[in-house]
Amino acid sequence: MKNRIKELRARDNLTQLDLALKVEVRRETIVFLEKGKYNPSLKLAYDIAQHFNLKIEEVFSFEDE
Amino acid sequence: MKKVKRKTLLITSILIMSTFWGFIVIEKGTNLFKGLDLIIFILIVLGGVVAFVSALKKDKEEKQGMPADDEFSLFLKYKSGYYAYMASLYMWLFIFLFKGYFPDVETMLGGGILLSALISFISKYIVKWQFNEK
Repeated sequence: MKNRIKELRARDNLTQLDLALKVEVRRETIVFLEKGKYNPSLKLAYDIAQHFNLKIEEVFSFEDE
Repeated sequence: MKKVKRKTLLITSILIMSTFWGFIVIEKGTNLFKGLDLIIFILIVLGGVVAFVSALKKDKEEKQGMPADDEFSLFLKYKSGYYAYMASLYMWLFIFLFKGYFPDVETMLGGGILLSALISFISKYIVKWQFNEK
């Protein structure tokens, strides 16, 4: 699963810590999400998308290997 | 409330450990700082220092507003816990198979307990280091 978290975070001038505090997770969760090493739960994906005022599919996307 | 609980728990554990070690030092005197006892002593003190530093770090993060646990950290805990449990089972099996190599039962059990702690510690770091859902 790919995501645009890093790009959106840069757009809004947010640090990983800022985003982590906004969506109530630990900073390392954001680190692993940005690296694409962790697939978030539906709730976390929804919270992140909502924070950026976007739909889930605009932030997260699936890619067939 | 949670912060107060963590601090109280931290202070209580330090007090209990200090009392416990106080009794051991009184009982064993300078013999504690020789041979295997010294290695065990150092390992326990190191474990205590790591736990204390990590508790202070968590406390600082909580003050910033970061949760102590979230879905990812819990997932890591469960996964590494499972591996640590399985590895510990095999470790105890080998310890009992080779029990003849240990000088006494206390060393065997004490060593096993310390190794279990070491396995959990290593397992946590391996799971985190290799974590990749790509």
